[in-house]
Amino acid sequence: MPETTRELRLGICGPVGTGKSSLIMLLCARLGDELEIGVVTNDIYTDEDARMIRAAGVLDPSRIVAVETGACPHTAIRDDITANLLAVEDLVAARGPLDVVLVESGGDNLTATFSPALVDAQIFVIDVAGGGDVARKGGPGIERADLLVVNKTDLAPYVGVDVDEMRADAVAARDGRPVVALSRHDPHSVAVLLEWVRSQVARHRSGRLVPVDPGPMAPHFHAVENGHFHAGENGHFHAGENGHSHDDHAHAH
Amino acid sequence: MTAVALLLADARLPVAGHTQSGGLEPALAAGLDDVPAYLALRLATVTRTESATAVVTLAHLRRGEGLDAVYDAWAARTVSAAMRDTSRELGRGLLRLATTLWDLPPLLTGLPRPMVLGAVAHATGVPSADLAEVIGYDDLQTVASAALKLRPLDPAVATSWVVAALPQLATLVAEVAHLDAPTDIPATSSPWIEQLAEDHAVTTRRLFRA
Ligand SMILES: Nc1nc2c(ncn2[C@@H]2O[C@H](COP(=O)(O)OP(=O)(O)O)[C@@H](O)[C@H]2O)c(=O)[nH]1
Ligand SMILES: [Mg+2]
Repeated sequence: MPETTRELRLGICGPVGTGKSSLIMLLCARLGDELEIGVVTNDIYTDEDARMIRAAGVLDPSRIVAVETGACPHTAIRDDITANLLAVEDLVAARGPLDVVLVESGGDNLTATFSPALVDAQIFVIDVAGGGDVARKGGPGIERADLLVVNKTDLAPYVGVDVDEMRADAVAARDGRPVVALSRHDPHSVAVLLEWVRSQVARHRSGRLVPVDPGPMAPHFHAVENGHFHAGENGHFHAGENGHSHDDHAHAH
Repeated sequence: MTAVALLLADARLPVAGHTQSGGLEPALAAGLDDVPAYLALRLATVTRTESATAVVTLAHLRRGEGLDAVYDAWAARTVSAAMRDTSRELGRGLLRLATTLWDLPPLLTGLPRPMVLGAVAHATGVPSADLAEVIGYDDLQTVASAALKLRPLDPAVATSWVVAALPQLATLVAEVAHLDAPTDIPATSSPWIEQLAEDHAVTTRRLFRA
């Protein structure tokens, strides 16, 4: 694929309250010096999340825009992405060129994932407070998003969750795709996250990033049929964190 | 009705229809209770203007005439700036999709939805009456389905409102389908709906874009 100058469009999805907006604020705060960032939020009620991120003071407020989804947050990121595409284009036209546009979903459950026509890569966020078995239960985002974040590991002792076990479940559910067990209070985990985002920007710029669809809530399907899930496309992130080299799974299918 | 007209009237068409309530959200917030009456009001006023604008756009394109006068007539009859913005935004989303599907005439950017629909009808052979009907029908369904999100309601009741409004829709279609000049577009504005649209555009809590 040719090199591209268009910004990387990175989706952040996952259930409400797992820390999507917080993750965006973290990325803005920590990568804002090296990358030109824009943010599109998908809110249930008007521009709540957008205002929260603006209020954090980590990014020029005019680089943060909200999409109203008419109470259809899933539709807006998957079946009918018109409003989001227009928002991204307007943002880039007004404030670009940008390196990354972070698109936060307004989803309210585990099944919503982004259309590959809207984002180039996506992070699915779950948290330890949602329970230790969430990762094991799976779903398209948990199993096949480009990165799975198991967030708020600092809370694990308070909610009776064994982080190592939860991470191992997630790694097993994902056939070696990367997992970051994250807490904003744990600098090492934050560094791993930032490195992953940088690696996606680099892959995107070089034209090597091919959007991979986590797919709908459907029976598990196999890489070979769909042609995307082979090592070359997914294996660039060697997460010291999850202890799993992608190559372990390179030919699993 | 032509199959393309059905496609254009289908809520599954990915043109951001789900972001719209047809002004119902602010109307309910302002105390509206009688949604069927609201549907009738829209058909008699703002939707009538939109349908006529689409039909006249189609007539102009068929005759190979430019669209500036149609645009000006639409804008003059759509008093609320917020409603003009909404219509242009929807037109942009529709145009984005339509250009990937059909060969459209070179259009000015920033056209409102009814004008883009008129251009799509021109490119696909949709007759004027179908075009007018699509706009009216879509408006009814937009409001009715938004009502389901905004009020506790049996979906069958919302659909019954649409069915009850169909005779009025048929009358509207008969009245506008033959129009062909910008001056023919009825100036049937609704100050109440327009004021609500203006208020809604600046509210900080809303489910629907408009
Ligand atoms: N303890 C802890 N709380 C977090 C962390 N990340 C986010 N939160 C909190 O989780 C709550 C929900 O976060 P938010 O980003 O709004 O979630 P969203 O609904 O997914 O966007 C907020 O109170 C955050 O402060 C974390 O790493 N550790
Ligand atoms: Mg949020």
